[in-house]
Amino acid sequence: MTGQLRRLLVPSISAFLALAALPGAALAQQPKEGGRANVVIQPEPPGLMLGILQNAPTQMVSGNIYEGLLRYDEKLNPKGQLATSWTISEDGKTYTFKLQKGVKWHDGKPFTAADVVFTADVFLRKTNPRTRASLAYVDTIIAPDDETVVFQLKQPFGPFIRMFEVGTMPIVPKHIYEGTDFLTNPANNTPIGTGPFKFAEWSKGAFIKLVKNPDYYEKGKPHLDEIYWHVIPDAAARSVAFETGKVDILPGGSVENFDVPRLAKTKNACITDKGWEFLAPQSWLWFNHRGGLTADVRFRKAVSYAIDRDFAREALWNGLGSVSTGPFAQSTAFRDEKALVKYPYDPAKAKALLKEMGYKGETVRFTPMPYGETWLRWAEAIKQNLEDVGIKVDMVNTDVAGWNKKLGDWDFDISITFLYQYGDPALGVSRAYVSSNIAHGSPFNNVGGYSNPEVDKLFADGATAFPDSARQTIYSAVQKKLSEDAVYAWLIDLKFPTITHCNVKNLITTGIGVNDGFKDAWIE
Amino acid sequence: MQTFRFLLSRLAKGILVVLAIVVFDFVLIHLAPGDPAAVMAGESGATDEAFVQQLRTKFGLDQPILTQLGLYLWGVVRLDLGFSYRQQMPVIDLVMDRLPATLLLTGAAFLFSLTVGVAAGAWAAAHKGKPLDRLITTIALVFYATPLFWMALMAVLVFSVWLGWLPAFGLREVGGEANFWERVLDVARHLVLPAVTLGLFFTAVYVRMTRASMIEVGRQDFVKTLRAKGLSERVIQRRHVLRNAVLPVVTLAGVQAGQMVGGAVMTETVFAWPGIGRLMYEALLQRDYNLLLGVFVVCAAMVVVFNILTDLVYRLVDPRIEVSS
Amino acid sequence: MKGFWSRFCRHKAAVVGLIVVALVLIIALIAPLLYPVSPWKMVQRPFLPPFANPNFPLGTDTLGRNVASGLAYGARVSLLIGTVSTLVALAVGVPIGALAGYFGGWVDDLLMRFTEFFQTVPSFALAIVLVAIFQPSLVSIIIAIAIVGWPPVARLVRGEVMAQRKREYVEAAILAGQSDLTIITRQILPNVVSPIVVLASLMVASAILLESSLSFLGLGDPSVMSWGYMVGAARTVVRQAWWLSVLPGVAILISVLALNLVGEGLAEALDPRSARDAA
Repeated sequence: MTGQLRRLLVPSISAFLALAALPGAALAQQPKEGGRANVVIQPEPPGLMLGILQNAPTQMVSGNIYEGLLRYDEKLNPKGQLATSWTISEDGKTYTFKLQKGVKWHDGKPFTAADVVFTADVFLRKTNPRTRASLAYVDTIIAPDDETVVFQLKQPFGPFIRMFEVGTMPIVPKHIYEGTDFLTNPANNTPIGTGPFKFAEWSKGAFIKLVKNPDYYEKGKPHLDEIYWHVIPDAAARSVAFETGKVDILPGGSVENFDVPRLAKTKNACITDKGWEFLAPQSWLWFNHRGGLTADVRFRKAVSYAIDRDFAREALWNGLGSVSTGPFAQSTAFRDEKALVKYPYDPAKAKALLKEMGYKGETVRFTPMPYGETWLRWAEAIKQNLEDVGIKVDMVNTDVAGWNKKLGDWDFDISITFLYQYGDPALGVSRAYVSSNIAHGSPFNNVGGYSNPEVDKLFADGATAFPDSARQTIYSAVQKKLSEDAVYAWLIDLKFPTITHCNVKNLITTGIGVNDGFKDAWIE
Repeated sequence: MQTFRFLLSRLAKGILVVLAIVVFDFVLIHLAPGDPAAVMAGESGATDEAFVQQLRTKFGLDQPILTQLGLYLWGVVRLDLGFSYRQQMPVIDLVMDRLPATLLLTGAAFLFSLTVGVAAGAWAAAHKGKPLDRLITTIALVFYATPLFWMALMAVLVFSVWLGWLPAFGLREVGGEANFWERVLDVARHLVLPAVTLGLFFTAVYVRMTRASMIEVGRQDFVKTLRAKGLSERVIQRRHVLRNAVLPVVTLAGVQAGQMVGGAVMTETVFAWPGIGRLMYEALLQRDYNLLLGVFVVCAAMVVVFNILTDLVYRLVDPRIEVSS
Repeated sequence: MKGFWSRFCRHKAAVVGLIVVALVLIIALIAPLLYPVSPWKMVQRPFLPPFANPNFPLGTDTLGRNVASGLAYGARVSLLIGTVSTLVALAVGVPIGALAGYFGGWVDDLLMRFTEFFQTVPSFALAIVLVAIFQPSLVSIIIAIAIVGWPPVARLVRGEVMAQRKREYVEAAILAGQSDLTIITRQILPNVVSPIVVLASLMVASAILLESSLSFLGLGDPSVMSWGYMVGAARTVVRQAWWLSVLPGVAILISVLALNLVGEGLAEALDPRSARDAA
């Protein structure tokens, strides 16, 4: 792809984003009460018990039913939710939360500090691997009274304050789960939370219905009477549903990217790319470091140089997101642009590196991620990029289960993926690089098998260093090392635009976006 | 009495076939890479080995495969299709929840394609070689040769987006108050597009079969005799030829009706129709073994039942045919 | 043979069909000559409409790849899938049908139960499961299509062989002491070739359709350009780039149509009764 060609590309939709700044304007208006929000949910979630199921559709629906202690704004600063105030001790080891008064579970039982202790200390330690890993830094969790919870850490753990969002630590009712088998508790089918909406009905394969929680503790909220989540399996049909007015909200990723500019131009359509600051999805190419061509740093660098990221961003991602230059996404804390060794699009350099290492046309296997058309097209474009510099590529197609298996078994040379970074390198970045996270069976740990004691030590120190300036020094060093090694080929820090009809107001108010519940949303 | 004995033997054979299918599919499905525990663990975005093992143990996937097969077969014999790993519900509930939608869709498509197909086929045969015949056979061929999903997308574009006449997806409008008849009408409106697109392919098949069969029967001696008797061509075609010609078409249709039940994946996907075709496809992608097997068992049972019904109808319509042979 | 040709040529539509099939075949064969550059190569801006640029008369796709080149290479893959899967289905179906029809009795019973068994599973569902299980590739797609395609062949051959079995020439061959195998292959099969040929031409057509449906569900082979892949990949952009789904869709339609016409022509040309009618 030459520069001349790039100028010919379809005009990006960033222009639309600028025109349709969603939240700011809406704040001034008086919310209108009542009405129904029709939202697309894709794919159909396996269940709604957020404490047990962590997949994307569950988080999206259940963010309305359950709540965390905190929320986070676009800059990832904490805001109160079930906690009204919080303090962190001088040494960074004691976190004290004051809870909301007068909160009731959807079944009418009162919510107390005991529920929080049960959730963090018993329930999530058993059911949620991601939360469990972070809770390893916690020594004790106690409730001095019904409205106070104290987390006592073994050592400082900087990212701890970013752990209280609803997806990571949804507070679950102790009176329903204590002493039961959490995974098979029949109450999982009728989730009980403290959130602004209650579960009402699930017609499998068709829709999930949530209704307003009339006893919600924040007076005057929520504004909506009900939310219908529509299950529509075909992407083209989801677009049609929006155009014909059957649904008002298309959360990020629910229509194919190719359709976004067209939908953005339809009447009464508003689009925003906000609400992904916390999750900060970053895409990259996995390299298998265990052997073969991808174990050679020159080959990895050649691949990194060979890929035209700007083309993919324009042609496949509508010009949204930004080109990744290193292992930390743009909105992730402690990102240090200056520390990075960068790999801009440069086929000549790629060819030179290949020549230097004596590449003789051996085939590499490339396993695309079967997450929809955009990802498959992207894999095709990358394959072509690699073939343009002379690398022979064999595409290995699989379905999602097969892909999980192939990556979990390390049976690949190159693959493509994206992972959430959860705001902090200790929560979302280190997991793909540290050797303690090399294990069979998961496509989301250190699948590439990169193992470097120096990096391991830096990440371990970075998690517990105190204060933040100490962390910054360490993480700058990590970014330098990882980019020097071209550990993976970082592609794009993604943004999945949310498309709504313009009469939907105040939908996205935090850095967690649609997953953070609709308590502020209203329909004009 | 004879019919009863025939029924019994067919049923027994049918049950054997279904059991054989269970074994076959069971083996096939377990050959697939990945298992439900890995899929569920993968979906959660972050997992560890312990979590996957915990799921495997819970689902009984850590037992030897023969033990799993034995347990499953023993379940099927007691009409227990097991538990869906992913949805945490008995398979039979999930399947029965979705089956009515599929039966409604395929039933409507079946009736549509059979009536339109036979009528158009007979019409074409009556004008054999004339422009009308060519027109009908060509249209039928075009429908036969167009990919179904493509036709479905086009139908949605034209009738839902541009004209706005019919709803584009789903089985019914959600929410709102409606009495019984309003609800029926609502479902009927939602049914039109999916049923017609699914039916068009089969319509094409029946047009061609009916036409061929009519021409074939028309050549037989008894028709010549009727003509010699001076009956009008119209009466001959309608009363005698069509009646004889339609029999093989109905037989084929009966066999296909069973196949349609599991074959509506495509239509159900495009129109977001909450039927078992989609359920099957999703279960396959999620490696929800029990659910997938459950759908197959139910589909196979439907095919067997439809085949028996077809034979019975055949027997009633045409007493000359010896069913037991 | 000469009589066959003249009978076939009397069926004008069939001749047109044959010409179309031959054209598609030629395009498939000379695709690399027509378009030396890989059809996957991104050569122009994405979504270039047809006729906008004389170098790319049929426009470009979502990534800026030449649609005309894709269609030419797609013809190769679609025809390959169609013919190979049909041949495999014949290789399985014909022997099973012939054995069942020739020997009758328990052999027939056993083989037909086996065949029925495959027909009891909805065929499209079975194809999906097979491709998903063996992971999408050209080979697994061909095998899956063949597996759902052979039972009708077996049933047809069985019926035809059964009818031939009662004929005098077969009795004579048996009396002459010829082995069963010789009788089946040398005596009977040549006499039942015509309905098989007709069925085969239709099977090639339905295989092309089936492959496109599998591609639609995301179960295509990602390393080969087929018409099914093109339609499947274009379905999400059908609104902004009609040509991406219409062109390969029409290619499928025309090929399937042509194969059907050829099939019909063959059926009439090979059917002695229609020959009498025409005379």
